[in-house]
Amino acid sequence: MRVMRWKQRDPFNPLSDFEQLQNEINRLFETERYPTMSGLFDRVISPEIDVVENEDGFVVSCDLPGVEIGDIDVSIADNVLTLKGEKKEESHSPDSKVYRRESWSGSFQRTLALPKAVDTSAVGAVMRSGVLTINLPKREEVKPKQIAVKVQ
Amino acid sequence: MADATKTEPRRRIAPAADICEDKGKVVLRLEMPGVEKNDLSIRIENDELLITAERREEAADGVYLIRERRRADYEKRYTLDDTIDRNRVDAVMKNGVLLLTLHIRESSKPKKIDIRMA
Repeated sequence: MRVMRWKQRDPFNPLSDFEQLQNEINRLFETERYPTMSGLFDRVISPEIDVVENEDGFVVSCDLPGVEIGDIDVSIADNVLTLKGEKKEESHSPDSKVYRRESWSGSFQRTLALPKAVDTSAVGAVMRSGVLTINLPKREEVKPKQIAVKVQ
Repeated sequence: MADATKTEPRRRIAPAADICEDKGKVVLRLEMPGVEKNDLSIRIENDELLITAERREEAADGVYLIRERRRADYEKRYTLDDTIDRNRVDAVMKNGVLLLTLHIRESSKPKKIDIRMA
C-alpha cells in the first residue's frame, strides 16, 4: 500500500505544474514549513503524520509542538480515525514587536480510514514532548501466529 | 555531540522560529517536537548563540505506510549584538517548544529625556 497526499490540480491554470514544481523544490530546501490545508468548506491544516505497521498493530505519529493535551481530540467512528484540535497562537502583548514568525497555528485535522484488523476498543494515545503517538493494536485473531513444525 | 555508535550522520534542520521583542527582552520560540530537555544544548560563544538538539526518537519498528514527517536533529545559529546581556538568558522547554528569553542590557535601553518649557 502506498499513500500519497492528494494534490489539487487546477485544469484552467496553465502554470499549475510549475507551481507544483516550485512547491516541491521549496519543500526540498525546507523553506516552506507551513503544512498543507485541506477541507472543502472548513479549511483546516493537515499536520504531517507517519503511519507504521508492525506485527502487533499500527502506530500513527504526528508532530504537534506546543499543543496542550486538552486541545487534541482523537476519535474513532466506523473505522475512521479522526485526529483534530487547535494549535493556539502564542499570545503577544500589543506593544511587542514581532520580527519573525515561522510556526503555524489554527485548527488542524487528519482522518485515516483504518484497516479492519484494528481493535478499536484498545486504541491508546500518548503525547510526549510535542509528539502525539496513537497506538492501534491489531485484533488477536489477525496477528500472525508462529506454528512450530516438528520434524518427525 | 558526536556519538561513536552512530554510523550515518543525521540530517540537521533549522526549527521553526518565532522571534519577538517585548519590554526589554527578545523572546525566541523554537518548535522542536520530539526533543526533551536533556537532548538540548544552548551555547553562547562570543557573538554567536548556538542551539542544537538531538531528536531521540527510536526508529520505527515496522513498515512505513505513510511517511511525511522529517526525521532530523535541530540546529540554529543566531548572531547576537552588543545590546543583549550574555549573562541573562532564560530557557524553558515545554511540549516540544523551546522558549529562550534574551534580556537587553539596561544601558542599551533608550532613555527618555523630559523637555521642560523654559
